[in-house]
Amino acid sequence: MTIRRRLTCWYAGILIASMLAMGVGTFMQISEQFRHNARKKPYESALEEASEMIFQVGLPAVILGLLGGWWLTRRALDPVTKLTDAVEKIHDKNLGEKIPRTNNGDELDRLTEVFNAMTARLDNSFQRIREFTLHASHELKTPLTILRGETETALRDESLSPAERERGVSLLDELRRLTHIVDSLTLLAKADAGQITLASEPVRLDELVRDNFADAQILAEPHGLKVELETCEEISVRGDRHRLRQLLLNLADNAVKYNQPQGRVTMSLRRANDAAEFTMTNTGAGIPPEILPRVFDRFFRGDPAHENTIEGCGLGLSISQWIVSAHNGTIQMDSTPSKLTAVTVRLPLATTTKPA
Amino acid sequence: MRVLVVEDEKKTAAFVRKALQAESFAVDVCHNGDDALAAAKAMPFDAIILDIMLPGRDGLSVLRFLRDRKNTTPVLLLSARGEVNERVEGLNLGADDYLPKPFELAELVARVRALTRRGGESKSVVLRVADLTLDTVTHKSQRAGVEIELTAREYRLLEFLMRSAGRLCGRMMILEKVWDYNFDPGTNLIEVYVRRLREKIDANFETKLLHTVRGAGYILKEKT
Repeated sequence: MTIRRRLTCWYAGILIASMLAMGVGTFMQISEQFRHNARKKPYESALEEASEMIFQVGLPAVILGLLGGWWLTRRALDPVTKLTDAVEKIHDKNLGEKIPRTNNGDELDRLTEVFNAMTARLDNSFQRIREFTLHASHELKTPLTILRGETETALRDESLSPAERERGVSLLDELRRLTHIVDSLTLLAKADAGQITLASEPVRLDELVRDNFADAQILAEPHGLKVELETCEEISVRGDRHRLRQLLLNLADNAVKYNQPQGRVTMSLRRANDAAEFTMTNTGAGIPPEILPRVFDRFFRGDPAHENTIEGCGLGLSISQWIVSAHNGTIQMDSTPSKLTAVTVRLPLATTTKPA
Repeated sequence: MRVLVVEDEKKTAAFVRKALQAESFAVDVCHNGDDALAAAKAMPFDAIILDIMLPGRDGLSVLRFLRDRKNTTPVLLLSARGEVNERVEGLNLGADDYLPKPFELAELVARVRALTRRGGESKSVVLRVADLTLDTVTHKSQRAGVEIELTAREYRLLEFLMRSAGRLCGRMMILEKVWDYNFDPGTNLIEVYVRRLREKIDANFETKLLHTVRGAGYILKEKT
């Protein structure tokens, strides 16, 4: 049954009910009036009786009508609210999931059906884009391998002039950069397609942080930056050692690259609310609040002025975000421009076996 | 030293052959898995470079077949997919090394050298290159009798370079062995560490030991 028909029926029901209520009320009033008349009551009170009748009969009927209308509207809009809630939960990762249908054949059920069909089409398109990226990055690898190999082979030629050699080496540098971009893209495409299984082993996060601290000091040295390890509590998490290393190094690399000369980088690892909390700050130019939500987007480069001076492909933070979410953690970036920029990673602690 | 290269992509096979020949390896090339098995059966090789994606019988299947037949020739797997699972599976099947494509040629050659020399590696406690020594027990290093202070990471880098003295060490190899990274972090970490190490071991000496081969890697040796 369509909603229109159903609502009409319900409305008719309410009308009939309130009319019935009015009819019964009027009938009772009139019959009482007859009894009054029999007792020969004065005629003046007729007007009073009429208004009394309106209050006693009309008012309940009106209230019944109002309540019925309110109930009817709620009932009519209830499926719309449910549908809104369901639609709200849809994002690019769960497009494949269907909104449950009522199967009663009304307009909203039909809307749900159309909606499901639409998300299915979207899911399909997303899937195709993912596959495309994955295939593209695979296909790029063979020609890249050949390009690298041929360039390196050419460079082995002893008769090259220094200028020719310089050109070849510069080519190799660019090839290495291209390789890095293709590798990063492949990684993200595979992550999107759910093709990466991470190790899940106990990892001493504090050891990784200490290693990373040593690396960050080295990376920071040419820029005259000061790197400090504020706290480093002994903390274990479950996860993939290599990926966590990659995460820490990505963050350290950013903190150094986007810093100011003579700036500072700090790191800390502590236990906070049953999670491992790693914070890295830098004293760089910072990120304006309007672009802060976009820093994890792929290929997003915050400051156009930095675009050409800072090496990197704009995928580092996207990869970091993926690593964190693959470990069921959260990553957050806060920034006070030209003062302090902090990135905070929270990872669930490794569940230790409790003593019996 | 004889190396078998199994790679269906002709151009890749050609420059790998060329690079290995330049390093005075004898090189045989096959373009599919069945030919590779036949070649491995016909004669002994010192190493096999095996691409995973091959027409017909794939690289992992060739590897499984070889190891089932008790053939222990060192195998270096190549793969364009570069998946961690694939790497783990390959190593579990008995591969000796794994290199994702696109690889650096110098890196490949360095790895093949390492594979064919395996077992012949210096077992001595004190490593020595010219007048530079490194004690692997006390972690102390000296150049011409003067002690050199090393951080833990510098020590590991120097130890790795000294153990492969005279051989080119590629970036990925160094990242794997010294940093325990199985990915290229895309930073200049190695460059900066090598610069620091060079300041410590080479700056005050006439004879330089640590050399950069641009676009390829690093090599620790007495003469250029």
